[in-house]
Amino acid sequence: MTKYGQAFLVGLQSNLVYRWNFAVRSLFWFCHLLVVFILWGAAYAGNPSIGGYSFSQTLTYFVVIFILQFFVGAFNEDYQISEDIRNGLINQFLLKPINYFAYRMSVFAAARVVSGAFGILALLVALPFVRGYLDLPHEGWRLALGIPAMGLTALIQFSLAYCFGMLAFWFLEIQGFVILSMAVETLLGGQIVPLDLLPPAAFNVVRFLPFFYQAYFPAAILTGRQGLDFALQGLAIQAFWAFVLVCLAEAVWRRGLRHHTAAGG
Amino acid sequence: MDSLSRYLRIWLASARYSLVRATMFRGDLFIWASVELLWISVNVIMVAVIYSHTRSVAGWSMYEMLLLVGTSMLIQRFLMGFFWSGIFEMGRNVRSGLFDFVLAQPGDPLFMASTRKLELDGLLNAVVAAALVVYSVRKLGLHPGAGAIALYACMIACGVVIHYSALVIAMSLSFWITSSQGVEGSYFTLMEFSRLPREAFGRLTSILFVWVLPVVVVSNAPAREILHGFQPWWALGLLAATGAWLGLAVAVFRSGLRRYTSASS
Repeated sequence: MTKYGQAFLVGLQSNLVYRWNFAVRSLFWFCHLLVVFILWGAAYAGNPSIGGYSFSQTLTYFVVIFILQFFVGAFNEDYQISEDIRNGLINQFLLKPINYFAYRMSVFAAARVVSGAFGILALLVALPFVRGYLDLPHEGWRLALGIPAMGLTALIQFSLAYCFGMLAFWFLEIQGFVILSMAVETLLGGQIVPLDLLPPAAFNVVRFLPFFYQAYFPAAILTGRQGLDFALQGLAIQAFWAFVLVCLAEAVWRRGLRHHTAAGG
Repeated sequence: MDSLSRYLRIWLASARYSLVRATMFRGDLFIWASVELLWISVNVIMVAVIYSHTRSVAGWSMYEMLLLVGTSMLIQRFLMGFFWSGIFEMGRNVRSGLFDFVLAQPGDPLFMASTRKLELDGLLNAVVAAALVVYSVRKLGLHPGAGAIALYACMIACGVVIHYSALVIAMSLSFWITSSQGVEGSYFTLMEFSRLPREAFGRLTSILFVWVLPVVVVSNAPAREILHGFQPWWALGLLAATGAWLGLAVAVFRSGLRRYTSASS
């Protein structure tokens, strides 16, 4: 087994230790879903459709968005990386033949396997309540394009978190930056409102930003909010952003190391 | 009276210390103020997008909804500004034994623990939330008199006390359990319900979020007072909830304090 495979297994074990954190997160997921249900239920009262979508389609979109976050969302990777840098734990990686990005990516993948399992568990519990509202399209291409889109979403989310974590090379405290970016990502990623409900001009700007591909894009493919042409174009733009962000992560790592001082014995 | 002025002097000393600290870390203050401002903007954009597709949500127009969101934000920002850091650190300090430091101070432990730090960024954004309330009131063509504004301010104060009490109860759990992780997340999740109109809740959800947990009453009561004038039942309900929650918080905190066995606990 490769060293990154080992890192994945260790990550799996350490994330299982924090299973209660994921369980608590699942509980919050129910509450978020309830807020969405109450708010959009009230908005749809007397309106059969909003932006061309029924209440079931909008609720399905939010369920998929929330579940996606369990599978591909970077929750606290930025914080973990910043702690490695601040506490000097990063020094051990400088002395070993291991790529820190690949190592962190392996741990991230392990964490998403555990949180994804909790996401499915949460969905199974919620299913009796939301089943009547779920309205998923049946075209096969949606799954064929949705899965690679999810993979690229994970890469974009992780690379962004990695870059923010790297800020610890320059700043003592990065939580402010992280939460600042979280607000932008939450809004422009379509977690607050489906982005296709934005005015067309705003939507056409947002679709070229990386945040668009952090949640909305795979959810829009899977829930039928966008067609095949849009999905293919989007996949190309998403691949471009994933490439740019991975390169940026590498560049920030190299620049950060020039700043870094490994002290102690 | 002597005791009141002594506590006022202690609080002023803590406030002065917090202000000096905030001005020492100006970059940090700027980042956190931006974070809060951005989250207020996210909520405003969400309301604007929903209302670009519908005229009313649970009978509330867009500016009525903005008034509700502004009111909810105002309460939250005051809580963050005056009490959040102190109460949040309480859980950590109980676990580490640093709570001894609070007990050694010349005042009531709950007062000393919860008023130790003033967060300037939260208070700066209370001004933004207040501006949102004023903007909504103007757009609605309302002209509340001095009495109505004073009553609104009292209701906001009641809301802050209720939120403070709920947070103290949650953090006091650290006297019994080793980890109060997730309290922050649960607080923000519950706050999401306070931005919803009372009329949007069904029978079942009303029981939990209107009657058991007063998250909805806290924001809806002051907003309704500005919109529809003095409504005795809402005002009395809010006052009763304030007294009950504060009493419960003090009782839980004192009961927890009796269990505290200093650094070795």
